[in-house]
Amino acid sequence: MSMTLQTLTHIASGAQAASAFAQAAAGPEPANFWQPVAASTNAAAVDFMWDFINWICYFFFALVVALMVYFVIKYRHRAGTAFRTDYPHHNTPLELTWSILPTILVIAIFWFGFKGYLDVTTAPKNSFEIQVQAQKWAWNFKYPNGAQSDDLYVPANRPVRLVMRSTDVLHSLYIPDFRVKKDVVPGRYSTLWFQCDYPTGAPSEKGPKVDGHHLFCTEYCGTGHSNMNRKVYVLAEADFTQWLSDQSQWLDKIADDELYFKAGPKLFARCQQCHSLDGSAGIGPSWKGIVERVKAYPNVGEGKQYPTFEDYIRTSILVPGEYVVPGYANAMPTFKGQLNDRGIDAVIGFMKHLDEFDPKTGKYLKAAAK
Amino acid sequence: MSTIHLPTSGQIRDTIEARPESDSYLTHTRGVLSWIFTLDHKRIGLMYMWSVLGSFLLGGIFALLVRTELLTPGPTITSSADTYNQWFTLHGAIMVFLVIIPSIPAALGNFVLPVMMGAKDVAFPRLNLFSYYLWVTGALCCVLSLAMGGFDTGWTFYTPYSTTTSAGGVIPVLTGAFILGFSSIFTGLNFVVTVHKLRPPGMTWFRMPLFLWAIYATAIIQVLATPVLGITLLLLIVERTVNIGIFNPSMGGDPVLYQHFFWFYSHPAVYIMILPAMGIISDIIAINSHRHIFGYRFIAFSSIAIAMFSFLVWGHHMFTSGQSALMNTLFSAISFSVAIPSAVKVFNWVATLYKGSVSLTTPMWYALAFLFLFTIGGLTGLHLATLNTDVHLHDTYFVVAHFHYVMMGSALIAMVGGLHHWWPKMFGRMYNEKLGTAACFVVFIGFNVTFFTQFMLGAHGMPRRYYDYQPEFQVYHVISTIGSYIMALGFGMTAVCLVSSLFGGKKAPANPWGGRTLEWQCASPPPFDNFAKTPRVADPYDFSVVKWDEKTQGYWVDDAADPEMNPNAPKTAHAHH
Repeated sequence: MSMTLQTLTHIASGAQAASAFAQAAAGPEPANFWQPVAASTNAAAVDFMWDFINWICYFFFALVVALMVYFVIKYRHRAGTAFRTDYPHHNTPLELTWSILPTILVIAIFWFGFKGYLDVTTAPKNSFEIQVQAQKWAWNFKYPNGAQSDDLYVPANRPVRLVMRSTDVLHSLYIPDFRVKKDVVPGRYSTLWFQCDYPTGAPSEKGPKVDGHHLFCTEYCGTGHSNMNRKVYVLAEADFTQWLSDQSQWLDKIADDELYFKAGPKLFARCQQCHSLDGSAGIGPSWKGIVERVKAYPNVGEGKQYPTFEDYIRTSILVPGEYVVPGYANAMPTFKGQLNDRGIDAVIGFMKHLDEFDPKTGKYLKAAAK
Repeated sequence: MSTIHLPTSGQIRDTIEARPESDSYLTHTRGVLSWIFTLDHKRIGLMYMWSVLGSFLLGGIFALLVRTELLTPGPTITSSADTYNQWFTLHGAIMVFLVIIPSIPAALGNFVLPVMMGAKDVAFPRLNLFSYYLWVTGALCCVLSLAMGGFDTGWTFYTPYSTTTSAGGVIPVLTGAFILGFSSIFTGLNFVVTVHKLRPPGMTWFRMPLFLWAIYATAIIQVLATPVLGITLLLLIVERTVNIGIFNPSMGGDPVLYQHFFWFYSHPAVYIMILPAMGIISDIIAINSHRHIFGYRFIAFSSIAIAMFSFLVWGHHMFTSGQSALMNTLFSAISFSVAIPSAVKVFNWVATLYKGSVSLTTPMWYALAFLFLFTIGGLTGLHLATLNTDVHLHDTYFVVAHFHYVMMGSALIAMVGGLHHWWPKMFGRMYNEKLGTAACFVVFIGFNVTFFTQFMLGAHGMPRRYYDYQPEFQVYHVISTIGSYIMALGFGMTAVCLVSSLFGGKKAPANPWGGRTLEWQCASPPPFDNFAKTPRVADPYDFSVVKWDEKTQGYWVDDAADPEMNPNAPKTAHAHH
């Protein structure tokens, strides 16, 4: 009997140790009852504080509710009996104790939270810097070599510092798995840093499904607020270098005559939140029949004339408020600095060949035929 | 034993039989006009109460729409994110500006405060009526806003979104909130003067019932903080109409400045909501425990301490806003100071149960529910005052859960508790206590199912004000929505319980719970002028002279037995320790 018990205990502790080891090797602290995955180097400190405060809460909550229930049951008044008169009115030592003890506790909580906060706000000097631009309702990430992306790609094992600005209203960048958040405020820069040591890999069309970390907008910014979310992919150093160089050249690598169907759908993904291809109205007008519509009305608005279709589209991308289609709000952000001439050419080409693309997804239909 | 009790101290006290029931404030004059132009604080209180309850129903409907929409990710009952954004904005704005802020001070406070002081009315009855009509005007502006296209800014009106959104009803609702602010300021002013000038003989500052202390502390915040909101909203209106760049950076303004202005009012406003609730709870617990409140001075001072600290902690709403790290640190440190007086109150309430004689009446169940919920609401404030955990939790459902535990689980539950506490006094009818208690339980369960789940949602990273969400959050959202339906059922039961009492309820005695304060010493409902002569008072928490009368099925206060009121009374062992 005792043999069996011993063996069981031994096996159990062995399994525990093994699983702990596997955990350390495979990745970040997994999600638990309260918290999501703890994937950044600062997450452990935040979660420690969380647990510390939680235990204080559990203790005081249990104390208050237990005493309350006990007193209510014990001192419940029974009909026909006289009221008790042996109660104390106050008790100064007791009252001082329950004033001073919580004071000491909250000073401790403040101090640990403050120390943790210093680590969260102070980015290391050697941080890899990424420029972030937030606008209704998209994120744009720009890397030192000029590469840009809609999802955030970061190198593993290296502090990353985001320098953020907004072109319209308040936004806030939040990555729950990293426990970081910072408002993105128009008219000023705000910064945020983190380091993640666990690569997620980059998503690819053929490879296995890759789960990135969620990136949310947490400052209410209107219609598309809840869809202003993206993924964060953490790449091992070599992969990240490769990704950066691919990403900075992808438009240039496409031949001119293939530009509209190779780059078009990819770029459209960013426009898709507001513009449809099937004629249904979104936040902005649908692109269906856009060529004919624009050509039929060379005069758009007071004294504004666009000599060509291309001029109109180019202006609308770079200075969206120049001409607003009647019935729609002036809601489009500018893509100046995000879309170069080649990118604009790709979008214009895409619009001219809309019948070659799936009206729901924007996928190139002739790809299969070829 | 006779219920007609003539004190020997030479005062004539109104008693139940002293005046016919037809002379109550409800029947003193008749007709619609007698209500519309009334200067009677009790009638104004009732008009506030029905208006606030109507708004609560409306705000509640929007809450249910929001919760139902969140049953599934993506479209559920509306395919428009804009519509959803209007719903949650309306829910928040209605509940804050039209319901919680006026609920206890303007509705219950108006009714109770002068009677509690043995006064005939508040200090400025005309100003009081004017406050009510300002409230009505503010509410009408909100309705006008809906007719003009509504507003989707969130109740916080953060710039530059609020100055640039195409929703057509932003200016009317800002005007409405501005006007509601004045309603609140005038009520506060009225109560400050009333408490200073109209206290009856014997009611020194430390003889005030704790509800009065709480209303007084609240009134001071209303007078000092609300003007800042008024100025801020005015600046916002100016910016939106004539494009002066105060907050919008594209015109040289600063959006973070708006947040400072806004929270300089809106943080104290949280205490405008919770302090009166704490006052109600102090009184309900003491009366239903039939024993002296424990640590009276600590509770009274903690109300004042909370009112003062409330002006110094606004920056804790802005830890991630771009406010400097130094400011964040200072605001975090000061914010913790609010935890102490709040904790002191909770401990004192629990200690008041100790060696008491606890009657589990419906108001008492609400008070116990409050203790449970406020403890959770208060403790989760620690996570949010702490800098590094707040960075993770800010603007997630954790914050939503936290402030619902405080504003709804505490402030509104106390308001409903207070409504049950003073209902017999207001209308002279008892409600069915079994139904009242059952409703309280259903609300309590529904509330926790709805909002405890949201702590988990937020801690896992679900941002607030989201129309669409990641599928992994759905299970929490479904539970939360089911909770909201349970809660709606509970409030429906509460409404049935209270309203049905008006038609078939037992006649209420003057003092159904055993209170010692003055409102329990005039008839239910009170006569038009409350008391024929200003009464004298002693310690409002000395219940040893409160006695049960079988004939009226109520309590009565035997002032003749109180040595303070009657020098000839036998001194009991139980005077004051």
